[in-house]
Amino acid sequence: MEDATRKSGDLWSGVALAALGLYIIIQAGQWEYLGPEGPGAGFFPLWYGVAILALSVLLVVSHLKRGSARGDATDWNKLGRALSTWLALAVSVALFKPLGFVISFALLTYCIVAVMYRRPLATAALTAVASAAGFYLVFDRALGVPLPVGVLGF
Amino acid sequence: MKSASSLIALVASLCAPLAFAEGFKPARTVDLVVHTGPGGGSDVLARAIAIMVEKEKLLPVRLQVINKPGGNGAVAAAHLAEKRGDQNTLGLFTGVWLQTPLVSAEAKVTLRDLTPIARLVLEPAVIAVKADSPYKTLAEFIGAARKNPGQLKQSGGSNTSRDNVVRQLLQKSTGTRWAFISFPGGGERIAALLGGHVDIMVIEPEEAGEHIRAGNMRVLAQVSERRLAKFPEIPTLKEAGFDVPVVPQVRGVVAPPGIPKENVEFWQDFFRRLTRTQSWRKYIEDNQFEDGYQNAADLAKFYEEFTDRMREILKDAGVKTVR
Amino acid sequence: MEILAGLFHGFAVALEPANLFWCFVGVLLGTVVGILPGLGPPATIAMLLPLTFNMNPAGAIIMLAGIYYGAKYGGSTTSILMNVPGESASVVTCLDGYQMAKKGRAGPALGIAAIASFVAGTVGVLGLMLVAPPIAKFALSFSSPEYFALMSLGLALVVLLAGRSIVKALLAALVGLWIASVGTDLFSSTSRFTFGRMELLSGIDFVVVAIGVFALAEVMVNMEAREETQLLPVPKGLKNLLPTMQDLKDCRFAFLNGSVIGFLVGALPGGGSTIASFLSYGLEKAVSPRREQFGTGVIEGVAAPEGANNSETGGALVPLLTLGIPGSGTTAILLAALVLWGFKPGPLFIPEHPALFWGLVASMYIGNVMLLILNLPLVPLFAQVLRMPVYVLYPLILGVSMVGVYSVSGSLFDLLLLLVFGLLGYLMRKLDYPSAPLILGLALGAGMERALRQSLMMSEGKLSILVARPISAVMLSFAVLVLLIPMFGKLNAWRLRALEQD
Repeated sequence: MEDATRKSGDLWSGVALAALGLYIIIQAGQWEYLGPEGPGAGFFPLWYGVAILALSVLLVVSHLKRGSARGDATDWNKLGRALSTWLALAVSVALFKPLGFVISFALLTYCIVAVMYRRPLATAALTAVASAAGFYLVFDRALGVPLPVGVLGF
Repeated sequence: MKSASSLIALVASLCAPLAFAEGFKPARTVDLVVHTGPGGGSDVLARAIAIMVEKEKLLPVRLQVINKPGGNGAVAAAHLAEKRGDQNTLGLFTGVWLQTPLVSAEAKVTLRDLTPIARLVLEPAVIAVKADSPYKTLAEFIGAARKNPGQLKQSGGSNTSRDNVVRQLLQKSTGTRWAFISFPGGGERIAALLGGHVDIMVIEPEEAGEHIRAGNMRVLAQVSERRLAKFPEIPTLKEAGFDVPVVPQVRGVVAPPGIPKENVEFWQDFFRRLTRTQSWRKYIEDNQFEDGYQNAADLAKFYEEFTDRMREILKDAGVKTVR
Repeated sequence: MEILAGLFHGFAVALEPANLFWCFVGVLLGTVVGILPGLGPPATIAMLLPLTFNMNPAGAIIMLAGIYYGAKYGGSTTSILMNVPGESASVVTCLDGYQMAKKGRAGPALGIAAIASFVAGTVGVLGLMLVAPPIAKFALSFSSPEYFALMSLGLALVVLLAGRSIVKALLAALVGLWIASVGTDLFSSTSRFTFGRMELLSGIDFVVVAIGVFALAEVMVNMEAREETQLLPVPKGLKNLLPTMQDLKDCRFAFLNGSVIGFLVGALPGGGSTIASFLSYGLEKAVSPRREQFGTGVIEGVAAPEGANNSETGGALVPLLTLGIPGSGTTAILLAALVLWGFKPGPLFIPEHPALFWGLVASMYIGNVMLLILNLPLVPLFAQVLRMPVYVLYPLILGVSMVGVYSVSGSLFDLLLLLVFGLLGYLMRKLDYPSAPLILGLALGAGMERALRQSLMMSEGKLSILVARPISAVMLSFAVLVLLIPMFGKLNAWRLRALEQD
């Protein structure tokens, strides 16, 4: 049952989840478990915290006992590309306040097309501008859906 | 020459259809910030106000509603606090703005950090039971609660809501107790009562109206200072023999901090004029609100009294207050 | 036959040219609103409300209702094409719908979504018309123990959604429960897991998590590959533009399932379209002969939840129009709208305003037909969206995700949360944690905890209340059964393996 899904990551995720379970249990301890009127704020969290701790310990133990499935070496290149995309997204969100959605999104698109997909810079620029303009026209103008606005007013 | 020009100025100002406080005029669209999303209670009232303003031509500019939901009102309050000095932004506050900072440490902006402008309405409530309930008066219910402590049940909102405040005050003054079951939405609370799963609830008169008319609900008492027009035969809490203060549910207007005095006076007068218009009076009547207009200074005093009292009530209820 | 007379009268009202026009406007607007992630019917209806003051009330309510159920049609579009849930009810459609799109079957997926929506939507209106009063009474008999049992049944379905590792699925569901607890506790006003942030006082929005864990994670996973060519096969030939006869046959039970579950759950004031679609999906998976394939692109896995979230609208109108009790955000605004025009929904609404009620019912039949005619031809068109080169499509998905999240509350903080959950979703994908249980736990967590605490408050601490009441006892037994059945299967497999090794 666990065979195909065992990964080396199981150990770390198991440990992380166990830590989460412990954190939840400690926090739940600070709240009322059972009050005069009924279960308090700590009731439910305590139980699912315990469950998380128990199951993650089970995960870690079963991993330690059997090791990972073969052939699951982490492909750091792939991971890098995915995380760089995330980072680019994070940066563009950070730029919303000063630059607004339209410009930040254009920059994001440009980076993705030019860097991730290695398209010619002209294609990247065109896609970026067209997409950003499209969003502006469809959402802001046609539908009146608010887009994050920057210092420049759009 | 001087007296003539000042006479002309005086006559001109008397003839002006709108009397602005000296020196301030809204320069752009006025923002009215609410803490609910579109369709929520405050949003509906704010939009109604915007329509009235346009209809009665009370402002030379438009009033637009800005939704800043989240954080149980804390996000909207923080937004206003950020707009320090902005003379064209207002906030429509409700009891939630006053209560959230009392119980949540994360909500750092209280009404003291903002500029009070005016209190607008008080929302009364009625105490209702299912039509086939054995209790015909509130006294009967209290009597039953005394005989079976903790067994009767009331449906309501959170433990800081007005529903629970009424319950706490009644419990304290009569020495009885009954359970309070929280439901997140009005629909679920009413369903719990009509389904017979709880015995009593505090409900807005408008919400109760249709159920009473259909014969599904019975009202035992009203939570207000005076009897409501549509419930002439139902006693108020005081008339029913329960000497508890009427802790009102309020709505009013605040402004960002750091605005000049004439700005405050302008808005204060503006809202006073609003509450005197025909559309406003009709709105109040239709929704069974009570006119609770107070100017800025009185609102500031009211705020202090209200929070002091809430703090006491919450302490009695066993709720931890953080401010 | 009072009902026939009423319906006849209703069609007379609904077929008036002005009302037909407003019906069309409503369903068209609803479809557009549904397609856009984030922006939902409640906000749209609230914004249009002032414009309706000068309209005749029948036309106005017909239009607003059209927006309500029309949005349910459109919600599946981005779910299927981009793995971006259009609204919370469409989250379940992402599970199999997007997988179908990846296999080149976007057309049939979109088509079956429209057809299931039509069938179930019509059944929902039928239910509203025929059995509203007894259903309303049934709904009132549901108390907190029953809601707890219902949610438990839903959560037990996590076992069915488990995929290959039950431990990981359970962990994901529990983390979902944890995320659902973030915010201010309703009963005690205690702040839980808010990390000092005031924005978290009202909890974490479901749509934000769903878009992050599904859409953002999906884009990140796809960024890993260096292929420049299209990763999404384009539907070839007419066969793959619309559902085939075989597809329709496969979905027979799904149509029934979605219609009934959606309507019943919708009629419960504490229910909702998210719960309805999860339950319907779970039931479909439980009875399907190819249940192991659910999650890889099985058409019934799209038909069932899509049907459920449409018949839910009919169900939600039951308590609204017969009792004046709104069950959800949209029905609350419809209630406000009716009150604004001077009609007060309640037990006396139908007898006193038959023209309005029957006109609305009739218009819903018409509206569903309009929506089918509107949506089906659009299916091949929408399916062509996937023809876009991926380097245009994926940034587009990112943009749509961000706009969708921002339009919910206009808060940059929500965008931060989106990023966090996008990362979480990606890590879950890499480590083989299924994301559907997380979403399920999040959807049900708050309601389940509330129902449990309410039940214990009502019974003064006695857990027996949960099994003393017949309906909740039955549902809880089902939940336990659902949890145990796979265990039996695995115990058997272990036993066989142990025997072999001897």
